[in-house]
Amino acid sequence: MKKRLLLIMLLVFSMIIYAGCSKETPDVTDPGVTDEQNNDIGNEVEETEDRLDFGGRTMNVVTTSEKYVELFDAFGKEVNAKVEFLSMSSGEVIARIEAEGGKPMADLWFGGGLDAFMAAKDSGLLEQYVPKEVDKIDSRFVDSDNYWIAKGLTVVGFLVNEEYLQEKGLETPTKWTDLADPKYKGEIIMSNPAISGTNYGAVKGILDMMGEEEGWKYLEKLNENIPFYGKRGKDPEEKTVAGEFAIGIVPADKASFDVAEKNNLRVIYPEDGIPWVPEGVAIFKGGDGVDIAKAFIDFMLRDENQKLLAELDGKDSAQMIKEGIEGYDLGLPKDKLIEQDISTFGSMRENILTKWEELTKGK
Amino acid sequence: MGIRNKTLKVMNSIKLMNKEKKTLDIMNSLLKIFTALLVIVFVLYPFLSVFGKALYSDGRTNLSEFQFIKGEFYLVKNSLLSASITALLSTTFALALGLMTFFVSERQKKIIMFILLLTMVSPPFIGSLTYIELFGRNGFITRDILKLSINPYGLWGIVSVQTLGFTSLNAVLLIGYLDSFDKTMIESAKSLKANTTSILLDIVVPLMKPAIAVSFLLSFIRSMADFSSPMIIGGAFNTLATEAYLSIIAKGNSPRASAMSVILFIPSIIVFIVYSHFLKQQQSASKNLRESQTRMKKSGVYHLVKILGLFFILWLIIQYLAIFTSAFTDKYKGEIYFTFDNIKDSIPHIRDSFIRSIIYSIIAGVFSSLIGLILSFYSYIMKGKYMKILDFISNMPYIVPGTFFGLGYIFAFNKSPLKLTGTALIVILNLIFRQLPMSIRTIQSSMTQIERATLNSAKDLGAHNLYILKDMVFPMSYSGLFLSFTNAFISSMTTIGSIIFLVYPSRKLATFVLFDLVSSGKYKIASVLSCIIIIVCLSVSLLSYRIFNRSSKNVS
Repeated sequence: MKKRLLLIMLLVFSMIIYAGCSKETPDVTDPGVTDEQNNDIGNEVEETEDRLDFGGRTMNVVTTSEKYVELFDAFGKEVNAKVEFLSMSSGEVIARIEAEGGKPMADLWFGGGLDAFMAAKDSGLLEQYVPKEVDKIDSRFVDSDNYWIAKGLTVVGFLVNEEYLQEKGLETPTKWTDLADPKYKGEIIMSNPAISGTNYGAVKGILDMMGEEEGWKYLEKLNENIPFYGKRGKDPEEKTVAGEFAIGIVPADKASFDVAEKNNLRVIYPEDGIPWVPEGVAIFKGGDGVDIAKAFIDFMLRDENQKLLAELDGKDSAQMIKEGIEGYDLGLPKDKLIEQDISTFGSMRENILTKWEELTKGK
Repeated sequence: MGIRNKTLKVMNSIKLMNKEKKTLDIMNSLLKIFTALLVIVFVLYPFLSVFGKALYSDGRTNLSEFQFIKGEFYLVKNSLLSASITALLSTTFALALGLMTFFVSERQKKIIMFILLLTMVSPPFIGSLTYIELFGRNGFITRDILKLSINPYGLWGIVSVQTLGFTSLNAVLLIGYLDSFDKTMIESAKSLKANTTSILLDIVVPLMKPAIAVSFLLSFIRSMADFSSPMIIGGAFNTLATEAYLSIIAKGNSPRASAMSVILFIPSIIVFIVYSHFLKQQQSASKNLRESQTRMKKSGVYHLVKILGLFFILWLIIQYLAIFTSAFTDKYKGEIYFTFDNIKDSIPHIRDSFIRSIIYSIIAGVFSSLIGLILSFYSYIMKGKYMKILDFISNMPYIVPGTFFGLGYIFAFNKSPLKLTGTALIVILNLIFRQLPMSIRTIQSSMTQIERATLNSAKDLGAHNLYILKDMVFPMSYSGLFLSFTNAFISSMTTIGSIIFLVYPSRKLATFVLFDLVSSGKYKIASVLSCIIIIVCLSVSLLSYRIFNRSSKNVS
């Protein structure tokens, strides 16, 4: 008996030792390989075929979802680096960097509403970088000071349970203005825009489309129809699928169409205007893997990887930022995209959210 | 060694003994100071850091973060309300389950205990995961079976999920207490022909008062601290814990989160002081350890007990069936079908995080038990004066919400000389000290069985403190140590609140991945992961129970 106990203790201690060791082996740097990569800010000449090799070093990524693992793996394989990622909301990223005394927790920030990226730029958390092929990207989606770049657009639509609406004798809404109709009271679910980048995009888009005054009036009416706001980005989709609500405000991407197909629901692009929000990508200042992150952005912008990204994100061609990249054909009417002012995404955020919170207090 | 002179030899050995005693004394004080330092640095300091963040900004006292109390007092009210109802319900159900053990066979009791154990090893938020599927507006039970369309969100949603989650631990506490107290009173009442109702209500329940109070207060604290259930099923019903969490992830406002955590702390500390009072009563009452099975006639209040108890167990079983089925099925246009796809899809999510979780949890289990033993030795057995204070401080992680403790670690260890953020160490330390209070509790309650007279006589014979610790207290606390290891392991495997803000890209833990999956709505894969976590925890509990049982048989 004692022997067995001993064995277990031995096991325990060997594990401790293992853990102890694994603590001490982070990011062994291979000097000399990467220096030339460091000083190519402003260097847009294509010098590819100089195969990059990061000697197995690690790039840490904070991202919005685990779905990009395929892209990260492809990159890691190409440049001989390890990619570790953690999914996290953009608000949390900023709060943690601030709480941890300003040192970023990762090298690359991949995805999330652009407003947070603008805030991070203002706080001096980001590293400047001009990627290769930047000239092939719509200039609206690249920061004028080269601190961030968009990786694509999230567009906002409705996920509708038509069967349920029919049961209640209601028709399918096709416009934002429909949603404010009192007959949909209690049937609509949306997430708190402070938490969900998509829903922040919806609020911002509505304000840009209708104008501040009309926009807030509309949101007030819409608020009457919404019993509570989800505290997670996925709430609207999930609760509409579960049959808890008839209409959810969701990101209209391939995943939503798939979910709709699977559950007999429908995704609708609002006819009076489709709000959208660019998803940011940026490099954190001061991380150990800044050079790898730079290489990643170049990698990401290459045509074949843009295509992979469109696939992983489930985006329509109209949602991509590089010209000529073909995504899914989801039938997104490009002309219905609302004329939005990108520059105010960050600067107006606090105002919008404060006002929004007053309007919806207690929900 | 060449000296042969007898007297010299004796003198020498006395000198040696003195010298040895001196080294031992030094080691003793060093051990004491080291343990004290650990508690101060890794419990008190992070704890105070949160207060600091809430109260000071720009170098002076600033109470502006507390203004939310004026505008958002409903948060405080909601938290108190839901915590009170949850505590009441989960204690009532636990009491029913506890009393039920008087009427069932040994075998049935084992089955009940196993089902209870199952909930204790599950991650806390999986209750909310199944709740909507079963009881939602379109839920399997509410709509398909009962043909109801009720609103599952809000106060009652939170209360149901928390009650389901917390009752098990309460019931195990109460059953343990019932097992330990003297049954002679019941036997004599029975021989006096007292009926079941009056035995239960007039004798058993009053005797259980301290234990009932302990489980009520425990559930109250846990409910106050729970942020995940209200977040998923609270609807428009917001609580302080949830709002504090959201202040971080949505607003990036850590001073506000800290202020809310501080407010949350006030009722919890009051409740905790009351709790410690009852806990002492409970410990002093539970002296009798004779196993005896008492049977009573099944009449009177028994029926009420049975209905409550069975209802609860049925509810639990349905929940676990739901998780299990959801791991193996999928839906297409309303048709449910069997599949292994969820398991296949879960593999990339499991990767290293599971092994990392298991290793971290083992380390946390071992060290929190060892530190717990040393602390308990000095404070409980040696009755050290300052050690009592230390004992109180080391209870803090238990009272505060997990997010509070996690935030404290970030604020405290983000700068040199103790810059730990981003390391594996900070997560492990957090797990160790978060579990410490529970370890101290279990170890101290096993120490109640150590005869103080034996220790005193050893002392009179000149045994040094350190030897008493190593050769007497340590082996005698085996049962406590094993229990504390198992508890700490399970809690570390299933905890989320305290580590959610500490995890870095390369250091994900299994619960974090699970929480992420639940948050992003991948319930199917989440169910698979839940099943794996449950299996790991169950195996470890059963294994350690086995080992302990055998080794304790060997000892006796």
